[in-house]
Amino acid sequence: MKHVLALAIIATTIVSIPVLAHHGTAAFDTTKMVKVKGTITDFQFVNPHVQVYFECKNEKGETEKWQGELTAPNKLIRAGWDKHTLKPGDSVTVSGYAAVNGAPTIWIRELIGPTGESLPLFEE
Amino acid sequence: MSQSLVRSICISGVAVMFSGILCAQPPPTPPHDLTGVWMLRNPDSMRSFAGATFTKAEPEMTSWAQAKYKEAKPSNGGKYTLDTTNDPVLTKCDPPGLPRVYFHPYPFEFIHTPKYTLMLYEYDHVVRRIYTDGRSIPDDPDPTWMGFSVGHWEGDTTFVVETAGFNDKTWLDRLGHPHSNQLRVTERFRRIDRDHMQIDISMQDPKALVKPWTTTFYSELRPKWELGEISCSGDYLGFSKFEK
Repeated sequence: MKHVLALAIIATTIVSIPVLAHHGTAAFDTTKMVKVKGTITDFQFVNPHVQVYFECKNEKGETEKWQGELTAPNKLIRAGWDKHTLKPGDSVTVSGYAAVNGAPTIWIRELIGPTGESLPLFEE
Repeated sequence: MSQSLVRSICISGVAVMFSGILCAQPPPTPPHDLTGVWMLRNPDSMRSFAGATFTKAEPEMTSWAQAKYKEAKPSNGGKYTLDTTNDPVLTKCDPPGLPRVYFHPYPFEFIHTPKYTLMLYEYDHVVRRIYTDGRSIPDDPDPTWMGFSVGHWEGDTTFVVETAGFNDKTWLDRLGHPHSNQLRVTERFRRIDRDHMQIDISMQDPKALVKPWTTTFYSELRPKWELGEISCSGDYLGFSKFEK
């Protein structure tokens, strides 16, 4: 499968910082949005926050391994998800807040799934 | 046009108007009944603080409480991470206590029985048994995590719950405001209409608070939701490894 690099860091002006349910936001820079286009390698539908693992190719053609964090599975279930919503090999575009320590970790705020549609991330 | 015809047109017009108004009425609120799954949904105007604490302004704390508050390293204040916080819920899976339980952003359910009402919280299977059989809170209650609760109805739609008998190990909120074992909490669950409820919360604690700390939170009925499972000890304690 062909990986397309799409890594962008966008400075944002955010007035109110959204709440991460289980723990605080100190590990993430909520002024810095990252966007990565890649391929799912693992999907763990676990409490307190669902984990999405994916990889992409960087400018040098090297594989970068990324980890994304969503909200709780119960909340995603109520938004229409289940443990099969993502699977290894799915192409995704993931946007979210970057880790403060520079690690390839994202607090996901938007996830475009394999069908090209943005998946609902929030319950009613 | 005769006066009687005008009158009959007006009357039928008024009838149409009223039927329209009646049709627009919200569904009736069942009396003495909060049955169902509810989700906290505070207005955007409270967004800057209500995920972690009760009011924008600091509560008036005693010197004892101020000293304890300085020791708190809350994860939800934007400063401490999972590795550095001393939040007793996140580090030890201590029960959240009352009213901190409302800061775990998961639904809760009311189940009424003839002698008590159960409150089930999705977060960590927390259960509160609120006695409605006329008993009082014991004069010197034993310390517990979620307190000893009694409830009664005021009118048809306000369920008033008094709770005391807490230990002093929990935080009042996610920022680490402390309380003592003298804490008393009053919750007034006011069902505004079938789908909306206002929760007036008042905390009294002569050892920790100079005066009662009060707020109003808002929640909405979620008829299609069911409570799921969130187990703190099973799910939370090993979670920091995911963020390494």
